[in-house]
Amino acid sequence: MTVFVCEDSLESMLTCIYDAWYSRLGHDNVRLQVAPVEQFNMFDRYVHVETDIKKAMAVADAVNVKISPAFYSEVVFALGAYESDALDTVYRVLVLGFRLGAGVLDAYGFNAVARFKAIRIRFGREVSSFIEFARFNRLGDVFVSHIEPKSRVLLPVCEHFSDRMPSEYWIIIDDVHREAAVHPINSRYYIRKLSDEEFERLRTTEDYEDSFTAMWRAYFEHIAIEERNNPACQLNHFAKWKRKHVTEFI
Amino acid sequence: MYDIINDLSTMDKLQILADAAKYDVACTSSGVDRKGKEGFLGNSCAAGICHSFAADGRCISLLKILMSNHCIHDCKYCLNRRSNDVQRATFTPDEICNLVIEFYKRNYIEGLFLSSGVLNSPEYTMELICRTLSLLRNKYRFNGYIHVKAIPGAPEELLAQAGLLADRISLNLELPNSESLKKLAPGKNFNNIVKPMAQISGTIAAHRVAIGKTPQMERAVINNRLENNIFSQMRLETSGDHKLIVPERALDRDLRRPFAPAGMSTQMIVGATQDSDLELITVSEQLYKNFDLKRVFFSAYVPLNEDAALPAKGSAVPLLREHRLYQADWLLRYYGFSASELLSPERPNFNEAIDPKCDWAVRHLDVFPVEVNTAPADVLIRVPGIGPKSLERIFRARRYGGLTFDALKKMGVVLKRARYFITCGGRMMDRIPIDERFIVNRLTDVDRREVYNFSDRTTYRQMSIFDYGLEAAGR
Repeated sequence: MTVFVCEDSLESMLTCIYDAWYSRLGHDNVRLQVAPVEQFNMFDRYVHVETDIKKAMAVADAVNVKISPAFYSEVVFALGAYESDALDTVYRVLVLGFRLGAGVLDAYGFNAVARFKAIRIRFGREVSSFIEFARFNRLGDVFVSHIEPKSRVLLPVCEHFSDRMPSEYWIIIDDVHREAAVHPINSRYYIRKLSDEEFERLRTTEDYEDSFTAMWRAYFEHIAIEERNNPACQLNHFAKWKRKHVTEFI
Repeated sequence: MYDIINDLSTMDKLQILADAAKYDVACTSSGVDRKGKEGFLGNSCAAGICHSFAADGRCISLLKILMSNHCIHDCKYCLNRRSNDVQRATFTPDEICNLVIEFYKRNYIEGLFLSSGVLNSPEYTMELICRTLSLLRNKYRFNGYIHVKAIPGAPEELLAQAGLLADRISLNLELPNSESLKKLAPGKNFNNIVKPMAQISGTIAAHRVAIGKTPQMERAVINNRLENNIFSQMRLETSGDHKLIVPERALDRDLRRPFAPAGMSTQMIVGATQDSDLELITVSEQLYKNFDLKRVFFSAYVPLNEDAALPAKGSAVPLLREHRLYQADWLLRYYGFSASELLSPERPNFNEAIDPKCDWAVRHLDVFPVEVNTAPADVLIRVPGIGPKSLERIFRARRYGGLTFDALKKMGVVLKRARYFITCGGRMMDRIPIDERFIVNRLTDVDRREVYNFSDRTTYRQMSIFDYGLEAAGR
């Protein structure tokens, strides 16, 4: 078995798919993995993949043209998921997709498709939960939010907020992947990687509180019906790992 | 005459009026898709977005507050009734707008749910509500979700205005028949609730037709696959006498909006009177059919007031019954069931130990087992453990060859329930006798934990060493 190892970025993953495909070793003889590799195997050969935009574009174009644009967007979402086998599963699904067409995503009979759907659905839920639970703090005229997702959900989350608050200045910071999305008033947002210094400075934004933070906490306390108290149900809907930057739980 | 007195801070008012509003159940922001626009704040998503979950496990989607908890009525079940000695407060329209805008920008809420006690008179209260909504939409340029409660007895013009400013308008039926209403809410009149309901549903239908939509509200997509769902038998009257007097739109720029695009909803109290589940669920079905309601909500009665006509203070909240009613409500709206199939005058209440769908299935074992690979949608959807989503997946996957139990499991079919009712390629999952008693026993076992969680509300627990330690440290 030959294992192709790439970095944790979309371009790198697409390059990895390209290299594994054109290595001509046979689909069953390759495995794709994102660095770092935690456990090396004695019987496998490891190949490091250098990111190459041309190769990545070739894969993207091929999927868009030969399968379908909708299929490509599903693939991109699945590649954002944190599951360690996401990249390999996408590779298996692409093999099926090129052979059978876009409809293959409905065929749960294939193990790869079933796994792909599981990853994709979980990713979608993670996106919606950060759309729900991202909390902004007001600093002057800027609204700042910190999130700590497991997967790369910043892009879809920002898409939602740019529609929701088009005429506000806001920043969403992904503390795990160290990326920030900046949205100036009435224009498109952009996403950039943060340097260590910027990251440290942005961490302090959560210390600012105002009267509305206190009012929200009071409202949150008062809206619950005491006679119906049900912590298990609350926990079920609002897991603890999602509560890290949420105003009412700090 | 009351006047708005401003000696309480916004924080105090928020606490008082959130406390007063919390027994209203509907807190959904669903039903309408609306894009954001430059210069405005907010959008709306048809699936609805919950922003938090309170300690009772209920979602917080909208800022649910009362305009005022002063009330001229003396409904026996209500915390805010005239004869109760509770702290009273009234928001000013600007206070509400400010709260909504600031909370919305911080992503705490998805919009506003505005209800009110009847302050001075229905006209006065409704006008105050309309003024607030108009300010919020036009001065504060809020484009998010608004759910407004119509005050029974308010004039038509104001109801029309509220419908144009809000996304969803609701009228609380509270009790399923006029006798119960007379008993518990002497100031209210059943006709005063049903008449505006008919008018609002007629107005919604007329406005939908005017913009090229069907008069009926959109329903879950799954209903397209089910032939005999309750909505397909619906006949909605859009004739003139059932409509509200809508202000001339060309004259009023502020009101150029679709009329209640997310439809109308209502709420009924469960467990305050002797009304049976059959009555509640039949009334819900009638409301869906006749008034095209988008949702009917059920609220388990929390005993708050001492009264001979009501359950005693401190008695258990009928949470499991509320849960069963919601399950049945879903069966009506997503599964093509009708109320008469679920309950009958001989069995007027739901079985507490087993959910309504399983209950129906074990009483109709002649239909089962069904073959997953060939069964039509309206049969397959009635199998416990198969829902609208897994049904859709089964239908799509069937085009690619036969299904196995393994594939069904990956699609999200709940096999611990479905296994007793389906075959895959002509075989059942295990050797299962098609015997009512056997299957009921197995299914009760599956539901046991859920039922226990709902019914057992004692607070006894194992004492831990930390309890002792903390107390010792405190001394």
